[in-house]
Amino acid sequence: MRRSDLGEFEEVVLLAVAALSPNAYTVAIAEELERETGNIVTSGAVHAAMQRLEQKHYLKSVWGEATAERGGRRKRLYAVTGLGGRVLEESRAVRNRLWDRILPAIRLEWN
Amino acid sequence: MLLAPHVREEVLGDLQERYVQRVQSQGVSKARRRYWLETLAYMRPAFIKRQKNKYSSTGRQSAGRKSAGRHSAGRQTAEPSALYYCHNMILNYLKIALRNLKRQKVSTSINVIGLAIGLATCILIMLYVQDELSYDRYNEKADRIFRVAQKVRLNGDDVGGPTLGQSAATDLKQQVPEVLKATRFRGQGGEFVSYGTSSFKEDNLLVADSSFFDVFSIPFLKGNPKRALTEPNTVVITDETARKYFGNDDPIGKVLSFGREKIPYRITGVVSNVPASSHFRFDMLASFAADEEEHAGWIYRMNYYTYVLLPEHHDFKKVEAKIARLAEKQIGGELQQWLKLTPEQFRAKGDDFGILLQPLTGIHLYSAFGTAELSPGGTIMYVYVLSAIAAFMLLIACVNFMNLSTATAVRRSREVGVRKVLGSVKGQLRQQFLIESLLLAIVALLVGLLIVAVALPFFNQLTSKALTMNLLTNSSVVAGLIAGTVLVGLLAGSYPAFYLASFKPVLVLKGGFSAGRGNFNLRSGLVVFQFFVTISMIIATVTADRQLRYMQSQKVGFDREQVLVIQNTDMLRNNEAVFRDQIIQSPQVITSSISGQVPVGNSIMDKTTVMSKENPDQGVMSRFYFVDPEYIPTLAISMTQGRNFSKSFPTDSSAVILNETAIRALGWQQDPIGRELIGHTDDNGVKTYYRVIGVVKDFHFESLKQKIEPLVMFLGRNSGNILVKTRTDQIPTFLASLKQQWESFSPTAPFSYSFLDDRFEHVYASEQKIEQVLVLFSSLTIFIACLGLFGLATYTAEQRTKEIGVRKVLGASVGSVVALLCNDFIKLILIALVLASPIAWWGMNQWLNEFAYKVTIDWWIFGVAGLLAVGIALLTVSFQSIKAAMMNPVKSLRSE
Repeated sequence: MRRSDLGEFEEVVLLAVAALSPNAYTVAIAEELERETGNIVTSGAVHAAMQRLEQKHYLKSVWGEATAERGGRRKRLYAVTGLGGRVLEESRAVRNRLWDRILPAIRLEWN
Repeated sequence: MLLAPHVREEVLGDLQERYVQRVQSQGVSKARRRYWLETLAYMRPAFIKRQKNKYSSTGRQSAGRKSAGRHSAGRQTAEPSALYYCHNMILNYLKIALRNLKRQKVSTSINVIGLAIGLATCILIMLYVQDELSYDRYNEKADRIFRVAQKVRLNGDDVGGPTLGQSAATDLKQQVPEVLKATRFRGQGGEFVSYGTSSFKEDNLLVADSSFFDVFSIPFLKGNPKRALTEPNTVVITDETARKYFGNDDPIGKVLSFGREKIPYRITGVVSNVPASSHFRFDMLASFAADEEEHAGWIYRMNYYTYVLLPEHHDFKKVEAKIARLAEKQIGGELQQWLKLTPEQFRAKGDDFGILLQPLTGIHLYSAFGTAELSPGGTIMYVYVLSAIAAFMLLIACVNFMNLSTATAVRRSREVGVRKVLGSVKGQLRQQFLIESLLLAIVALLVGLLIVAVALPFFNQLTSKALTMNLLTNSSVVAGLIAGTVLVGLLAGSYPAFYLASFKPVLVLKGGFSAGRGNFNLRSGLVVFQFFVTISMIIATVTADRQLRYMQSQKVGFDREQVLVIQNTDMLRNNEAVFRDQIIQSPQVITSSISGQVPVGNSIMDKTTVMSKENPDQGVMSRFYFVDPEYIPTLAISMTQGRNFSKSFPTDSSAVILNETAIRALGWQQDPIGRELIGHTDDNGVKTYYRVIGVVKDFHFESLKQKIEPLVMFLGRNSGNILVKTRTDQIPTFLASLKQQWESFSPTAPFSYSFLDDRFEHVYASEQKIEQVLVLFSSLTIFIACLGLFGLATYTAEQRTKEIGVRKVLGASVGSVVALLCNDFIKLILIALVLASPIAWWGMNQWLNEFAYKVTIDWWIFGVAGLLAVGIALLTVSFQSIKAAMMNPVKSLRSE
């Protein structure tokens, strides 16, 4: 089994791509993450993360159409690949298993 | 834009989209701020790094982009430049370039060496020219300082000079409001200066106004510039001089004694040494004596170099006009006083007078006053000539480069063909070849700098300058040098680049391509040009050499062998004659004469008018020599008529001896002996007559540049030098004994001497230097031209391998093949010879016009230059030709 080399931010971006598909492109994801996390997310950071993901073959991309608000420039639409999906699933499974093993008493202490 | 091309469109689009959104939600200023922040977030390697291997089939980015590009072919927003400036391709070009250069070691080294020599020459000449142009620019107010010089025309000669009378500076300051400061200084010959027991002859002694330091920027190390020269008998010395006399002691307040009379001068300041790039030089700067002001006037005692400082941004021509009006009044008044002539009467004879302003920065290169200047000036001509030589050398090197690259092009035509078939466009090929030539140019620059570093000491010796590489550390110079090299690389590479890129791939790959005769025309033009320059240089060198030999072998009219000149004998005062009489006692001495005038070297002598008794209106400008009876025998000047001065004729004090030129000028060809001339007219109009007792054969009293002028010799006491005609071959012991005798008089001056023949050689030092420079440059051009020719011959021989093979099979001999190959080159060189001859002839004629006695430029010089060029060319070419001709035809024909 391949070592899952997925950073935290990368995972969030990957999830966001999956969530926003088929309209996932840099700006949309950055906006979405800003809304969800409340932190400032620059499109550059998102873009860099997506490039890394693409290199790892977790994402694929095609040129989308140009819109007026982009000054006539095309956007690049991203989608999660099968491999990416499996990695996401796996990572979620790992987390779920770990969550499940937390004793309820301890979770109570957090609140 | 730093962004890599493959992400550029996407990123820009992203940025703009968010910006537009934010403008709507948060307002323009905030959106703008965020825009910049976001932009900064792209400053990371992932975006800046260019995409790897754009042609790889796995490149998803480019594949995607290509398909998308097809959809949107109508609006091409992707930059077309992205296609060319891909760093992968450039790496590939570099690799191919290095491989090519390695494979063709000979042509590569020819190219690099040729270009390196061209660049090195250029840099050296640039250093020299820069130094020449930087004269006097060390002055902070350099562009506002002007020297007031006078232009005078007398009897059709321009006899103006850089100096004016004593009161000019004061008058200018007082009467011309634009003159902010005026200062003057005068030279003071050599002076013996002593402090305690140390005594030196100071040749660079100037006497100056206290305002000197207001005008010229020579920084004070000690003392106050405002008060330094205000009192009489004070002196400012340079740092170097201070060390010479006082070592590390503080010189301020110390007293130096000047000259025979031991006049005390108090040191009031120490300044840093005068920069080498100054048109005047001093080791000591003394204040004017109190009685200096007695000799008022503008043209009376014209010893003063007068400088004015004008306000900033002032048109000096206007001031010049104003000063000219003032000068008209003052000089006109003085003419009236001295010559009893009004300016109108003075001008009526065709004479003229006036002044001119010389910009300080132009004095070194443009002033035409020659020996009247304080230091020998440069010539703007030489600056132009040298710059032209530099340009030529560089041009030739570039031409070679183009020649060779074009010639080797055919070898690479297959590569070009393959590249084209695989999809290279012209632009890419051009880029490839330009990169190759840039690479070579940069290597050549490095080699050239190395050559400069090695050659600089020799070059300094040749030019007697102290040039350093320091100038090359100046950032703008470095930038210029690099830009120049890049330009040279691009220029030199442009022809091959465009030529190669235009090959038709089909033709090339079919193998039917060969450099046709049409291409040969351009290359032969280039060869003709090179040999044109080379032949001109050879002609110039040969002519200069002949002129120099001619001058040195020319009979000067006196015997310069075995004549010793003891200098500064006037410092012995009354003992001068005693010393001479002592010397004569020595068995090693034939004769000895005391004289102020030694025939060789620049004896600055005024010309004075003499008139014959019969014809007192017609003056003859002549030089006066005051000699003793031993003078003529010591120098072995031959007498054609009459007799020498003699102590047994007391009347000889009013006798003269003339030279033949003077006899001709006075119109006394028949029987000159016993005639009388008017030598001197005093203020009351009383004339003194001198009787001619002898005539000497013409002899050259200066260099052969000057014509022999009328000369009048008087019997008179004239101290300064003792000429000794010796018969010894033990010079060192003889000199030692002379020195001992000299010192027995305990004079203030040290014993110094020279030999007449050495002085004679010295007069032609500048011509010798020119010859050395010419020899150097012509050998360099020959070398470079040969490099080029060698490369071209290699190429031609290679091109015609098959032709030679066929010829040999059909029965041609080795000799006929060699002749065939050399024929082309010989023709070119003959064309070059025909072109070069008239131009070289004209140029050398100009140069020879400086000399009164000169060689003629004979036709055989052109023959020699042509033969030399042909010979050198044949030597270069024949190596390749013979190699090609000796080849076994089987080898060259088999591979068909």
